[in-house]
Order: sequence, then C-alpha cells, then structure tokens
Amino acid sequence: MPRWENDNTEEIKKGKNLKSKIRIKSFYKKTPLRKETQPVAPAGPFQLDDFQAEAIEAVLAGRNVLVAAPTGTGKTLIAEKLAEKLMDEGMGLIYTSPLKALSNQKYADFREMFGDERVGLVTGDVTINGDAMLTVMTTEIFRNKCFEDVEQLANIAYVVFDEIHYLDDPHRGTSWEEAILFAPPHMKILGLSATVPNVKEMATWIAEVRNAEVLVVEERKRAVPLEINWVTPDNEIINEHEAKRQVKKLSDKRKEEQEEYKARKRNKFYN
Amino acid sequence: MAKPRRFKDPAEIVELIQDKLPALYFVFGRAKTEEMAFEVGKEWDFLYPDEKERVRKMITDAEAEHPDMFVHRDRAMLKRLLMQGIGYHHAGLSPALKRIVERLYESRLIWVLFCTETFAAGVNFPASSAVFESCRKWDGREFRQLLNREFFQMAGRAGRRGFDEQGHVYIQISAEHPDETGFFKESEVEMVHGRLAVSANTVLSLLMWKSDQEIDHFLKSNFSAFQKRRRLKDINRKITKLHNKQQQLQEHFCEEQQSTSCPLIRKKLKRELHKLKSRKYRQMPGSQSRIAEIENTLSLLKKKKCKNVQCFDAAREIKEINNRLELLHYKKKQMEYDAKQYTIDFQKMRTLLQRLGYVKERELLPRGKFALHLHVQEIFVTELVFSGLIEDLPADEVAGILAGIDYVPGRREYIQIPPYDFDVVNKLRAELMEMGVPQDYMVWSPVPGYLAYAWYNGKEFDHLLDNCSLQEGDVVSVIRREIDLLRQMEKAAVDNPVLLEKLRGIRRTLDRDQVAVLF
Repeated sequence: MPRWENDNTEEIKKGKNLKSKIRIKSFYKKTPLRKETQPVAPAGPFQLDDFQAEAIEAVLAGRNVLVAAPTGTGKTLIAEKLAEKLMDEGMGLIYTSPLKALSNQKYADFREMFGDERVGLVTGDVTINGDAMLTVMTTEIFRNKCFEDVEQLANIAYVVFDEIHYLDDPHRGTSWEEAILFAPPHMKILGLSATVPNVKEMATWIAEVRNAEVLVVEERKRAVPLEINWVTPDNEIINEHEAKRQVKKLSDKRKEEQEEYKARKRNKFYN
Repeated sequence: MAKPRRFKDPAEIVELIQDKLPALYFVFGRAKTEEMAFEVGKEWDFLYPDEKERVRKMITDAEAEHPDMFVHRDRAMLKRLLMQGIGYHHAGLSPALKRIVERLYESRLIWVLFCTETFAAGVNFPASSAVFESCRKWDGREFRQLLNREFFQMAGRAGRRGFDEQGHVYIQISAEHPDETGFFKESEVEMVHGRLAVSANTVLSLLMWKSDQEIDHFLKSNFSAFQKRRRLKDINRKITKLHNKQQQLQEHFCEEQQSTSCPLIRKKLKRELHKLKSRKYRQMPGSQSRIAEIENTLSLLKKKKCKNVQCFDAAREIKEINNRLELLHYKKKQMEYDAKQYTIDFQKMRTLLQRLGYVKERELLPRGKFALHLHVQEIFVTELVFSGLIEDLPADEVAGILAGIDYVPGRREYIQIPPYDFDVVNKLRAELMEMGVPQDYMVWSPVPGYLAYAWYNGKEFDHLLDNCSLQEGDVVSVIRREIDLLRQMEKAAVDNPVLLEKLRGIRRTLDRDQVAVLF
C-alpha cells in the first residue's frame, strides 16, 4: 500500500524569500505513523480484578455494596454478574443511570446480553417492555416508582445506581436522595461510583437511612495508568514541572505585553 | 496576515501524537468541535482504502434509514471527515448522527474525535489518548476551570485496557490565556455533597404517601443534613477538646492567681496604670481615683517571687484557645441553622401550596392530585390545566405552549414567532405572580413554541430547521422534552377523559419520524 511522505514544510522554511512559515497544502493528505497490525486484546478468560471479585462475591451473597473505582475499570461487570444470578432465580433488577442517553445505551447492551424479552427500558419519554425482569430506567423514574408504584417493586431484589456520585449534581441530586431514602426496605443497593474521597461517608449515610449494612469496595488504581503531559504553544510536550514554569513565564510575558499596550495607548493620548 | 483563529491548529497536535491514536479531543463548545475537525481534515487522512469502504458501507446503511441525516447544516462535511477517520460529536447532532459517529468510533474507524464533555459521560468509549483544548468550561452560569472530578472523568477515557500500557493525556497551554492551564490531582478529587432540593412535587409526594414520621425522617436524614450533623459532631468534639485543654492549663496557675501578688495581674494593672496616666486619660472623670486605687492595691501586696513561670505561657495559650472556641461556636450556630433549612423549605412550600388550594392539611385537593404526577414546573403546568387553557385552545397551540415549559432560550437563539396568540399564558403568569408564586415555579418561554406547533401540524423536519437557528439535536430535544411532559400530564389526567384524549393525541402526533427514539 503506497504511503506518501509529503510534508515539504521544511524546504519551504529554508527558502530565502519566504519569511513566514507557509505550509503548502499538497494534494495528498498526511497519514499517521501506524503499526502494520493493530494490537489485539488478550484472548482467553478474563481475569477478574480483586475489587471486582470482592464486589461480585458480596452482591451474590445479597449484600448492599458501594463500589468506587476509576472510570474504565469495569464496574458494570459487577452489575452484569448480579443480573445473571437474579434472573436465574426469577428475581428482578432495576438499573438506574443519571442520563437518558446512558439509559438507552445500557438498555441496548443488556438486551444484547439477555435477549429482548427479559430487558426493558423506562425513561420519561419512552417505555419499552416496562415489566421486564431487568429494567433500565433513569433515577427520576425509579424515584417516582418508590412513591407511586411500590407494589410493582415487590419482586425486585436489587437496584443498581450507576454513577451514584451524581448525587452531587445540583439539578438531579434530589432524585438520588429520595430514591435511596424511600426505596422499599426489601431492596438491596449496588452503588457504582467514580473515586471520590468520601465514599465511606456516603456508605455510612446509606447504611443509616436504610438501617442495613453497606460494604464499601474501593479501587484507586486505574486499569491503565494515566500519564498527563502539557503541550506548549510551540508544540512541545512537557511534564507538569516544566509546564508550571512555562505557564508562569507566559503569563508574566502576557502581563508585560498588556502593560506595554496600555502605556502605548496612554502615550498616544498625550502626544 | 492570516485571520486569527480562536484555537491553535489541532492538525499540529495530531502530528505530535500520531503514534498515540485514537484520540478523544475534548473541546468546550460545539462550534469549536466542528471547526477543529475541519482543520484536521484539511491535512490528515487516517484510513486505508479498505477501511474507507467499511465506513462508506456503514454510512450508506444508516442513510437508508435516515435519508436526511447528512443534509442539514454543514453535516455533509461531517460525512467527508468520517471517510478520513475524523469525527465530531456534540449535543447539537441529531440522534441518528450521534449514533453513526459512536458506531464508527466503536469500530475503530475514527482516529481523532472532537467531542464535548457529554461524550465522557456516556458509556465506555476508551481511547489511546485524550487531549484537552482548554480546561475552562461554561457551566450554565459562568466560565470556570474544570473540577478535578470532571477532569478525571474525561481524562480517564485515555488508555484502553489490554491495548495500551498507558493512557496519554495532553493539556494544551494557550499563549493568550496561560493562566487557564489546568493542573489536576487525582488525590484532590472533590467530595460529594448532598444537594437535595424541596420541590412542589416533593412536598405533595410526601404528604400523599408518607407519614409525619417518615417526612420528618426525610427532612432530617437526607445526605446534606447527615453531613452537617457529622460536621457538627466534629465541631462539638473539637470544642470539648479545647475545653479540656483549657482545664488542664488552669493547673499551671497557683492559688494566688487571682490576687495582685500574681505577676500576671500586676502586669495587667501596671499596664492600666500607665494608660490612665497618659495625657489622653489623665483628665477623664474618675481617672484619678482609679489611679489611687490601683497604686494602693499594688503597694498593699508584695509581688510574689515566682519560680515557675509556666503560667505566663498558659495564659497566652488560653487566650488563643478562647479565640478558636469563639470561631467554632460561630460555625456551630451557622451549621445548626443550616440543618433546619430543609424543614423551613418544606414549610414554605407547603404554605404556598395550601394558599393556592393544592392541599388542605394533609389532604390533597384536585389541583394537588394533578400536580402530584408532574415533575417539571408542577405549579405552572397545573394552573395551565385548571385555568381551562389546555382544554379550550386548539391542539396545535397547546403543543406550542407546552414546548415552552421550563425552557430558557439561549442568547443568540432565533426561532420563528408562533402564529398564535400566547398572551393568555402571560396573563396567567401575571396573575400567579400576584398570588405570590415565585418566578422559579413558572419558568416558561414562548420561544420554542413554533417548533412544536409546526411539527404538530405535520411540517417536515427540514421546515423546522429552516425556521430556527437551533441545531438538529436541539430541535429533537425540545420535542422530546414536551413528549416527556405530556406523558406526565396524561398520568395526571386519568379522571378527565376529554383532556386525556387531547393530550394523548398531541403526544402521538409529535412522536414521529426524526424525533422518535432510535435503537
């Protein structure tokens, strides 16, 4: 497969009568350096992380669990294992998510996993198979059920609160609180949260208002560690220490420029 | 000179990180995602011919279902960009477009995706790297720096499990606004706070379904109250600790502490004496007698020869502790007041509802029973119904009016003026205001009215877009929000078959074509 290296910027830069850096748009576009083959995800049975194993064991034993782990560490897997077990036992599960868009996507995922008949979706503006064993809904809808349709929840063993740290959201937080306070006492809670410093406090609160024990499973390590770098205006990749220096330098320069500009304006005015 | 651009050329950043793709390029602003994708598209093409073929096929399949998905606005450009492995994603896109972009991304056919924060709130879309064009966002009220929590929600998308050993995150430093560069720490992620708000629905639901005891539990045990109680406990603990310390410090004093033989007291008296003898105080009435009195006491008792002068330090420390105690007592008072806030809010709302005829003691009156099923602008929607407007006005106008519930138009937003008279609604709001209903409980705008009105009357989606400055996604969201509201109202109107039929009719007419939910 032909690849063209067509960036002739350098040559232009060297040209004597061209002062500015002009980039000539060539007919062929640039292509990235790409490995011939894409890395393939390791096959074979998926090794559970310790925190996943711990949380799964706890929910399978019927305990209230609050899991806090960074994004992308596979919290959903815990809910999936729980769903499998409950559906085998003929018990129901409600999965709530903070956003409508998220509910739709979770619904699609679960449907693929458990089949059309066994999965439902209820949001404010759509209801599909609302009496299914596993129903995905927004937290608002679940909160409403806790007030209005309590009998409907008789066969539901667990409620999963995805992204439970949204409790902090000034607009939506109320539904979470009301749902946690008023979910029927027979229902167990599985809360999935991003890492926040006061998970234990949240758990203590849930335990207190629901008068039940809540296990906290915390994972601080990311599945893939992050490396954060900064990019300078001159397109150099630098680390935090250098970035702080660079920012200081730039902002000093910026202030100077502004002073100068003001002074110039003043001079113009007086002269 | 070249026209100054609002951002640095993203094509150069792509060059820098070309071996760490796919990348999610976070940008705060929809227009910016589009412009930046366009810039990269000028210089880069990420796909091999066979991959282009796959993209073409996926797009063709999607177009078979939604023929007009790439027709509106500048979306034809997006189609061309997708063929080069570049995309953008934001709330202004139609659901069909968002879906195809997400699918292509999942199929690893998009190498650089310019997106807003919402993409990170979605389900799992990991990338090899995440780039932040800036760390400043508009949060609905003001521009502010990202919270640590928000940053890591997005940055955490970098690093695909099983593919990458590391997730790469890049934050761009702007030469114009260097101070806005973000430095974030995962160890400094913000705490979660309780944010409960007492709405009309909260009060009605509690009165309808819960006992007094449960209501009390609710008002006192919500997360925010729980947190305040804990802080209060902390404060009390600190206060007791300081008190104990004070007690201990007292032990450093001898029995002569209160008498003038104690150097501490002598020092204090001498200071006073010095002050009284100064020019300023000399002439004041009573000064002379006080001077005599102090001189007398000082001469009466001999100064004690203290061997142990720890009492000096202790006195100083006690003074410090007193200051701290004062502050803690102030905090405690504040916190105790805050803890009662929910009870006060509840009472206020309950009184308002009582005055407006929604409740009588614990009983829900017809208005209250209606509002019980509503979750947006409960009072205003109920009043619209009970004033007879919804039943009297033609269905298309009702559709238009309901679209404006809880809607706050953007600054430069334009929508065709609706061809019906909505003064009646404004009049109703004015009346309610006179009755003491706060503005927050009747948020309504005539602006989106035309969209629902025309859509109800069978106009094409294109017609809506031609008559407003909104993007496809926003138009869809206006109508879907109304559908949500209509469902709530239908639930509330079960006892009124005529109204119910009318509402259902409107909802069914609105819920079609481009606006219907996709799966």
